[in-house]
Amino acid sequence: MLDTVLRLTAIAVLLRPMGPWFVQPALLALGAVALISRRWLRRSSLWAAVSLTVAIRIADDWPLADNHIYLLAYWALAIALALRAEDAPAALATTSRWLLGFAFVFAVLWKVVWSPDFLDQRFFRVTLLTDPRFTEVTMLIGGLSAADLAADRAALAPLPHGAELIDPPVIAEPPRLKAFAAISTWGVVVLEAVVAALMLAGSRAARLRHAALLLFCIVTYALAPVAGFGWLLLVMGLAQVDPAHVWLARTYVAVFLAVLFYSEVPWPGLLLDAIR
Amino acid sequence: MRTRFVPMILLIAVAIGQIVLARAFGLTPWKGGGFGMFATLDHAAFRRVDIVVDAPGRSEALEIPPSLEVDVARAASFPVPWLLARLAEGVAARERRNGRAVERVTLTVWRTAFDRITLRATDQPLRTFVYDVP
Repeated sequence: MLDTVLRLTAIAVLLRPMGPWFVQPALLALGAVALISRRWLRRSSLWAAVSLTVAIRIADDWPLADNHIYLLAYWALAIALALRAEDAPAALATTSRWLLGFAFVFAVLWKVVWSPDFLDQRFFRVTLLTDPRFTEVTMLIGGLSAADLAADRAALAPLPHGAELIDPPVIAEPPRLKAFAAISTWGVVVLEAVVAALMLAGSRAARLRHAALLLFCIVTYALAPVAGFGWLLLVMGLAQVDPAHVWLARTYVAVFLAVLFYSEVPWPGLLLDAIR
Repeated sequence: MRTRFVPMILLIAVAIGQIVLARAFGLTPWKGGGFGMFATLDHAAFRRVDIVVDAPGRSEALEIPPSLEVDVARAASFPVPWLLARLAEGVAARERRNGRAVERVTLTVWRTAFDRITLRATDQPLRTFVYDVP
């Protein structure tokens, strides 16, 4: 099980090359060596080097790195430390539970406590209409035409220097799209809160914990364009699987591959074309 | 084996630091390791930087040149004086390289806010920074 966790982490590093010229080749080399050599795969120093290299990447263009880059640095460090422990799988399982638990706690706190525009659904209402990465999903689920969407995007563009129109254009939001925004808002925050609570609840909630994390990844990364985050969460979940539960480990690997397909196959666009 | 706590302590410390920077100094919640992504519309797509260059006989708004895009992204994400000064210095240096006079660079960071009901968008100034070129 530990080898699978480490190999999938190396694959996640290789699938999304990151950073400037002095970081990217080093990370790619470390990931490749981990996959080629089982001896190096289990070397603490290799994972410490991955963590350090990712930390350099974060510092180099601070504050522009995405959050999963930070999580990758912590995770590689956790692997490096666990490989020095007497029972590496157990040490890694515990650390991954805490890392996931606290990452989700902060994600929930940002949505519920510190963001003025999440729970009132503005975040998803505006994002679905304006973010080009959601164009096909918005057209598919919301029933908007390309022309409607273009008109909405124009209407949502602010005038320079805080100016406002006396008679601003009305933004077309079909009821289906509003309902999708509402479901997304509450679905995301509830699921994230459940994952956070179950991760921090300890080993008593093991089955529910895995179910919640897998559900989160299956649903979220079908739509959210951040596969790198999904792979990392799944690898960290896999690290907590009891080796006797082979079916659960295989489910994690299958969802890891599903996220790969989500990210590489433009399924909303293909579906949209098929039903037109 | 207390070292196994180190990754978790790092995560919590960085996230708390990010919350302080976001709440007190205007760092976008999406950046900085605090896990505030997909939580708010206050992110790079809805922040922009206006650049105005002044000199005798000249007051001109500039398009963002490709060579300064990273500095603009940094300043928009975290509009604190040292990042804004770095951008302004880059603007002034670029103007001089191109043989154009520059005495002052004014940067204004804007954030787009959306009405709770109608979603109507309005730009709100987040920071204004004036750099007198030495």
